[in-house]
Amino acid sequence: MIIIIDNQEVQVSYGDTILDAAQRAKIHIPTLCHHQAFAGQGRCRLCLVEVTEQGRKRIVASCTYPITREITVCTSTPRIEKMRKNLVMFLYKQAPASKLLQSMYRDYECQDNSLPENAGEKCMLCNLCVLACEEMGSSAISLIMRGTEKKVATPYNEASLDCLGCGACAAICPTQAIELTERDGYRTIWNKEFKLVNCQNCGQPYATQEQLAYIESRGPDNEMLHCCLSCRQKMTAQKIKIFT
Amino acid sequence: MADEVIHADNEIRNIIQAYPPEKRFILAVMQDVQKSCNYLPKEALLGIAEYVGVPFSRVYSLATFYKAFSLTPKGRYNIKVCDGTACHIKGSPVLIDQIQNSLGIGPGETTADEIFSLETVNCLGACAIAPVMMVNDKVHPKVSSSAILEIIKGYRKEADHEE
Repeated sequence: MIIIIDNQEVQVSYGDTILDAAQRAKIHIPTLCHHQAFAGQGRCRLCLVEVTEQGRKRIVASCTYPITREITVCTSTPRIEKMRKNLVMFLYKQAPASKLLQSMYRDYECQDNSLPENAGEKCMLCNLCVLACEEMGSSAISLIMRGTEKKVATPYNEASLDCLGCGACAAICPTQAIELTERDGYRTIWNKEFKLVNCQNCGQPYATQEQLAYIESRGPDNEMLHCCLSCRQKMTAQKIKIFT
Repeated sequence: MADEVIHADNEIRNIIQAYPPEKRFILAVMQDVQKSCNYLPKEALLGIAEYVGVPFSRVYSLATFYKAFSLTPKGRYNIKVCDGTACHIKGSPVLIDQIQNSLGIGPGETTADEIFSLETVNCLGACAIAPVMMVNDKVHPKVSSSAILEIIKGYRKEADHEE
């Protein structure tokens, strides 16, 4: 099936989202809550596009809109730009301490207004950390409460039994809202302290005990499990060298 | 005391196991626990998560999302004062102050003896009889600031009588 995105013909399969199709064709659609590892969430709404179907126009979130018919998509119209500007303004009000949203607020030339701000907040509630945690197999964090009190947290804000301290949540966070500190061989995240294990090869701390125990419990022993990422890459490179 | 804890655990376990271990029954179980305990204890949430096979964080997320659930113990008599537009104009802030003065609890709080708890709701849908107040399932219409003390006194007597 062929659809038209910004006057360009794009080959798509039935059920692809508009965002996937556009990204494959190297057509840029701004996003905040999207990550290639996960399906579209439709949370931030920044990926709004205008879809024309049988002469009718409507605005949809491209990350969750599956293509089932031949449609024409426009990723930028004055109407969409105006909506995106408003969305960026609201997202900035939710997380005004985030450097990313501060710069977007400037780039989109949002006008200052008297709407209250969530002072000091960096989290814009994109939910990517929750998805990452679930994917890692822990599901230690989730979105709790609702409305203006909504936030990401562990149950009862306590150190979670399920948390492995892997830091996937902090790594995926687009606004660096999740605090992860490492000091004297210990990592602290989500009110819990983890002892770090040193790489057998170079001696640098690289993972938590809980993380390694979890990986070992899931599969056969891997010699490289006890080495840090950069040592693993070096060892793999060595192996390939022998092959060639 | 220790016996009591075990008894409560058993009670919760019975409520949970009354349903098949499927995701779709989580809310129903939580409603039953809320009804029986007047709140959702941590052990109940952990028990549900384990029984249904859903992460604890997910169950906690559900429990905090719905207003019908409380994570702190509610009193035997849960007072809901309507603070919607009509009731607000008809003087519900005065009622809330009166309750606060007489019971020493603000909205969202429970008395130390766990007899009364107070919450405000946005509209009970009965604006014609404003200001409205509900105690558990009973509706008290056109509550005046003098009547409210009598109503509380009545429930206090009922509670004493039961004990």
